[in-house]
Amino acid sequence: MEGTARIGGQPCHGGRALVVKNGMTGPAADLVRRMATGDRDAFSRFYDRHAPVVYPLIMRIVRDPADAADVLQEVFWETWRAAGTYDPARGTPEAWIVTRARARAIDRVRAVRRRGETFVASLDEATAAAPPATGGDTADRMADRDAVTSALERLPAAQREAIELAYYGGLTQTEIADRLKQPLGTVKTRIRLALTRLREIVGSPA
Amino acid sequence: MSHETFETLAAGYAVGALDGEDLVQFEAHLAEGCARCETDLREWRETLARTAVAEPRAIPPPGVKDALLRRIEQTSPRVTDRGRWLRWAVGTAAVALAAAGFTGMYVAARYEAVLGRMARETAAVKQRVERSEAVLREQLALYRDGVALLRDPATRVVEMRGVGTAAGAAGRVLWNDKIGGQVFVASLPAAPPGKAYELWTISGRTPRAAGMLALDAAGQAAQPIAATPDGRVDVFAVTLEPEGGVPAPTGPIVLASK
Repeated sequence: MEGTARIGGQPCHGGRALVVKNGMTGPAADLVRRMATGDRDAFSRFYDRHAPVVYPLIMRIVRDPADAADVLQEVFWETWRAAGTYDPARGTPEAWIVTRARARAIDRVRAVRRRGETFVASLDEATAAAPPATGGDTADRMADRDAVTSALERLPAAQREAIELAYYGGLTQTEIADRLKQPLGTVKTRIRLALTRLREIVGSPA
Repeated sequence: MSHETFETLAAGYAVGALDGEDLVQFEAHLAEGCARCETDLREWRETLARTAVAEPRAIPPPGVKDALLRRIEQTSPRVTDRGRWLRWAVGTAAVALAAAGFTGMYVAARYEAVLGRMARETAAVKQRVERSEAVLREQLALYRDGVALLRDPATRVVEMRGVGTAAGAAGRVLWNDKIGGQVFVASLPAAPPGKAYELWTISGRTPRAAGMLALDAAGQAAQPIAATPDGRVDVFAVTLEPEGGVPAPTGPIVLASK
């Protein structure tokens, strides 16, 4: 119970904390648990760890740096507010925040689309990487890019196209079928195959 | 339907591509608690997360983190000891504020009631004063006119005597053939319900209505009388008539001159 006392001095939280500890492995899960207790330092580290992953994802979807910064703030604000509801049994913190970020980014894009702006850019644009963020990180990013081959880039073109239009473009399967002039069943199959292939590339959860 | 279909739907759901019937069907299936689909969905989400992690990273705009930390600073933290204390303090302050608010509202309501009553009373007083002022002005005008009448050598004073039931009553008329005059009445008994006293100016044998007498509680009246077209009045009389008056006298005479 030493750990319990350290957490909050409340025996009634001890059981939960221990269960959480058993169920969550990895530093990210630990950070979320600490965020749930109002630990701002944990939030700061959680942000530093995940924002560089989440930001390019958001940027890729919303495409406008100001919108992306807004969405990024919104997503992390939600993680701070919802840290107490995070259930490690339902997924890793990475999946927790990435799912949330993708959803908020698509929300934003749809809101923008409702305002009459162009939504889905050309396929070439859609597959382009996010533009560099502010600051002098361009060189680093380029170095990263050389060193790490994107998992998506290793997908067969048709599968990659389907998953990019859905996941980053926010199109539904029917919209994708219309756009690619393919049968709906083909699109559904491509999406499933793409995920299956991606899982082979990036690996399953431990 | 084989479960294979749902596996495909789970993949579509994970990338947010389901729509129409597929979306409805899969969400209903999930709601039924299909553990297999739950697991599939979780696994696809992990796959997408790891894909994102494997993508090139980018440093986010520095302002975002600052804004978040400020935002967190401005809101009360959750359940640490410090947080609990703060929450207690904030809660207590909130209760105190609410109490103050209620007290304020109560006091305000009370004061509003009092102020409202005072305003109503003030308005009533003002109305009474205005009424009194109007009456006084009328009387003052009457007295001025009376003084003017008395100064005029052509003005005469005509006495009226009570008749019959009004034998104890008395009346006096200041009369000027050119200007008109004023009538003063005293000790006239109150008119029966539906009846009122009417004043007449009589030239020769022709009575002319000269207005209804406005008696006060003491049976007194003082009011002007308009000049007659021919400028001549032989007799002044008061009769008891139906309320509202009549063009020619019909009732008993209560006061008469001569």
